Amino acid sequence: MLRPWLRQCPRATRSLACSQCHLPRPQFTRRTLNPRSLSQPIRTLQTTAAESPDRVPLRKQLKQDAKAVKARKRQTRENEEASRQKWELTVGIEIHAQLNTESKLFSRAPTSSTDLPNSNVALFDLAFPGTQPEFQIATLLPALRAALALNCDIQPVSRFDRKHYFYQDQPAGYQITQYYEPFAKNGYVDLFAHDGIAPEDGDMVRIGIKQVQMEQDTAKSQEYPPSTQLLDFNRVSHPLVEIITMPQIHTPATAAACVRKIQSILQACNAVTTGMELGGLRADVNVSIRQRGDAAGAHQYGGISGLGQRTEIKNLSSFKAVEDAIIAEKNRQIAVLESGGVVAGETRGWTIGSTETRKLRGKEGEVDYRYMPDPDLPPLYIGADLVTELRNTLPTSSDALIELLAGPDYGLPLEDAKPLVELEDGARLEYYQEVVDLLRALQQDQGPKAQKGLARVAGNWVLHELGGLLTKADLAWDGERVPAPTLAALIDQLQRQRITGPTAKQVLAMVFDGDARPIPQLLEEENLLLRPLSREEYVALAEAAINLNPAMVEQIRQKNQLGKLGWFVGQMMRMGEKGRVEAPKADAILRELILEGRS
Amino acid sequence: MSLLREAERCFANQGSHAALNALITTLHQSGQWLERVKDADARRTRGTPKSKVDGRLIAFKDNICTRDLPTTCASNTLDKFISPFNATVVQQLQDAGALIAGKANLDEFGMGSHSIHSKFGPVRSLRCDHDAESLSAGGSSGGSAVAVATAQCYASLGTDTGGSVRLPAAYTGTVGFKPSYGLVSRWGVVAYANSLDTVGVLGSDVSSVRNVFDIVNQHDPRDPTNLSPSSRSRIDSHLRMPALASRVTSSLKIGIPLEYNISELAPSSRRAWSRSLAYLRQQGHTLHTVSLPTTKLALSAYYVLAPAEASSNLAKYDGVRYGNRPEGPDNITSTEGCLYANTRGEGFGSEVKRRILLGAFSLSADSMDNYFIQAQRIRRLVQHDFNAVFRACQPLNSPGLGKNLDSGEAGVDVLVCPTAPSPPPRISSLMGHGATTSSLEAYVNDIFTVPASLAGLPAISVPVTTGSAKNSEDSDLAGIQVIGQYGDDGLVLKVAELLEGKHL
Repeated sequence: MLRPWLRQCPRATRSLACSQCHLPRPQFTRRTLNPRSLSQPIRTLQTTAAESPDRVPLRKQLKQDAKAVKARKRQTRENEEASRQKWELTVGIEIHAQLNTESKLFSRAPTSSTDLPNSNVALFDLAFPGTQPEFQIATLLPALRAALALNCDIQPVSRFDRKHYFYQDQPAGYQITQYYEPFAKNGYVDLFAHDGIAPEDGDMVRIGIKQVQMEQDTAKSQEYPPSTQLLDFNRVSHPLVEIITMPQIHTPATAAACVRKIQSILQACNAVTTGMELGGLRADVNVSIRQRGDAAGAHQYGGISGLGQRTEIKNLSSFKAVEDAIIAEKNRQIAVLESGGVVAGETRGWTIGSTETRKLRGKEGEVDYRYMPDPDLPPLYIGADLVTELRNTLPTSSDALIELLAGPDYGLPLEDAKPLVELEDGARLEYYQEVVDLLRALQQDQGPKAQKGLARVAGNWVLHELGGLLTKADLAWDGERVPAPTLAALIDQLQRQRITGPTAKQVLAMVFDGDARPIPQLLEEENLLLRPLSREEYVALAEAAINLNPAMVEQIRQKNQLGKLGWFVGQMMRMGEKGRVEAPKADAILRELILEGRS
Repeated sequence: MSLLREAERCFANQGSHAALNALITTLHQSGQWLERVKDADARRTRGTPKSKVDGRLIAFKDNICTRDLPTTCASNTLDKFISPFNATVVQQLQDAGALIAGKANLDEFGMGSHSIHSKFGPVRSLRCDHDAESLSAGGSSGGSAVAVATAQCYASLGTDTGGSVRLPAAYTGTVGFKPSYGLVSRWGVVAYANSLDTVGVLGSDVSSVRNVFDIVNQHDPRDPTNLSPSSRSRIDSHLRMPALASRVTSSLKIGIPLEYNISELAPSSRRAWSRSLAYLRQQGHTLHTVSLPTTKLALSAYYVLAPAEASSNLAKYDGVRYGNRPEGPDNITSTEGCLYANTRGEGFGSEVKRRILLGAFSLSADSMDNYFIQAQRIRRLVQHDFNAVFRACQPLNSPGLGKNLDSGEAGVDVLVCPTAPSPPPRISSLMGHGATTSSLEAYVNDIFTVPASLAGLPAISVPVTTGSAKNSEDSDLAGIQVIGQYGDDGLVLKVAELLEGKHL
């Protein structure tokens, strides 16, 4: 679940990934507050095993392998760049997304796909003779939300057409779609650097949405060669939206970013059921190339002329597949043209993990879909009042949310704002907002300066500290595990310097593991409140530490090896009463005793 | 006559006229119908009949779905198909106390003008020519028409896409009514060309037709092309406007479409037409020639549009979920190399295949603009033609769009014209080695019925006899068609009543 954004979020990657290989903090594992903490897996074993001497050659081997991979990647990058200088790639995308609706598009059968095969099927879904479609108006709502979130003009009148082809998964022999007059047109999606677009696309690109149309999904078929097909019609006529972008994408990375962004927009406005990973979203890409600075190509797609002959790659089911398939197809077309050949207009396929697209059918085998207006379905009239209402109730777009979080009100770094918005379909953001609100209320008595940093501090705790615990325990997000008021109370104590940072982390882990005591009570009972040490106590501790290793003191004094001060700080922390020694103060005293004494 | 007596006679006629092949499925001696008719008789005696059709036997064209009897569409692909549900019209009539008399033979999926393209063999009319040769019953609702003509039922339902109720009515001497498109539910009626398909009623007289029509003329939410209650009340209030309401009592303006007076019109048909007009004038109505200039193009437009929709509608018959399927695999790996080639190749008859090919062609990317789109334009022009000559406006046109006001004093109330250009041809001239008529020629029989279908207007065919009253050998039976403005179904039935059964 985290994978999609980890790649573009280095900081989150670091903190979340590192938390897995960290040794558990001693106080964390030693606490025996409740049975659950006993069952925590101990992860130290793996790290020590890797250090055994006989594994060293393997490590070397791995290092060399990594080096080789790096070199290959560099070479590929250079080749890519060279061909990019010469050839311009143009990509348009068609995305099919299952709408989040209770019923099918033209029958009252429920859409649930998890039920017994062929249990949610109306007579019309099976194309029984004499049956007619009954357009389910409610299915329009998520479709409209999607179109509005993609900044489309909603058409007051749209129509349904039949797209004919024979296939086992298509019971009527045609799919009902909106070919001639779709319900939404002329939208756009903005892609920013943080969305993962290619560096050569700069900070932002805007990709036009040609149209959005409603249509039926097909049945699920399972093949048992040589001649048996099992069909499950539960999915047949599940409402889909097809989103067609303009051919305005010129890099593979940006194409993948575009699909990713459209998926997140669709999920944010609750228009779709699931994402690509669960098959709720599929993409087809149209790929063409033309030589830069050359005479314009002879083809026109989506009103953009001067393009090269395009090919279509069907049914891509992951963001990586989108990117990889485009790279492979682009390179294939370049190879064809550079060897004097001609790119044929054809439909191609892509298998995950392969390096080449493969031809599915050529132009001569192309299906003529014989589009015809559906004579049973009246035009779809969409009132301006409905559109206005939906527009007003549309959730804030993720772009606007990220801008807000990264702005002066919250002051989050961009790489934190993005995952916060995208994680768990916004559940993490809701939790975060609750923590910030509560924390701001708790800190009302503090000065404006202290108030200002709260949102950023809260972001760090929600995303990295709490996120780290989740990752370590390999658990899915649960906002109730550490309730927002508890986290807010904890951060409040930290901000007021009643506890140290390490103590706060320790307490968070205790709560995470099930300690339900209110924070003040917990701090009191566990004796974790910071009782500041006096100067005399610090001096005594420092002197005790110095006496442990006078040689090192000399090194610091003689060679000015200030880094070694940290060791003494650590010693002081260890020797002092737990949770009472504050590192900055210990450091200051050490400097005073060691450095000022040397002159 | 008691309902039971009438039903028993129908049952007897089904046996004695079995050779006419009007019904694919007939009543069973042991069926429950006897008890039900007796119940209806009892209700009638008590003075509490369910409706005017309570206890009547009604035959349904075999492309109208019935839960208890097969619905074959006269096609090999569905020859054992039993629908899991009743068509709305079947349910409505059963709820009104009527019984299913049987399932009537037809041209496969309604495609044909003579009811000869049936998996169960051709329908034969009771009528013969002077040489005792069997004549065509007309089509595609020929079985429904012959069942009525030979009293195998009280009335029957057919479907009329381009004249399929009116033409067989004209050929068999029965009354055949195609209501305005959208009045009668199509839910459960197997689609041929959805935008034209209209359930029609056949009966021996106008009053039985009206009795059946009154039951099925209701809103059905399951048919998206069925008129909503609000549209129905708009039409009603439109017809109650004084200018239109007065037509029931005052003299009518009868329109004579000039373009229907074609040179190919058979003398007997022309005679029936002119004498019908003369009779109406005698009754105090006035005659007015009108022009419907797009008439000549209408037939071509129909034979582009109807096959286009048919090619789409019939794509579902692949043998996967229901219907016949030949043994062995029928996919891309089979010898034919085309998915479903065997199933569809064996399932459909030649006329259906012809129309599927025609339709697939006219919808193909390279032909769409030249055929389908052009034909839709002609269809719109045909509607404009009719709107231009009727006194009443099309009540569902939104106001302020083009010519929408009543044609005023210039406009006519109904059009009266022949139903068919010629008397029924011999079956022998249509079938087998003796066939002298091509498919294309068969299409010409629809020339007078297709315009009203394209415009969705109510139209009825009533039988009139011309010639010597004494010598039936010299007399000719012909169908005269009355066409009204959209929603003017009541007036069309009324004018039909003036003409029906007249010996002129």
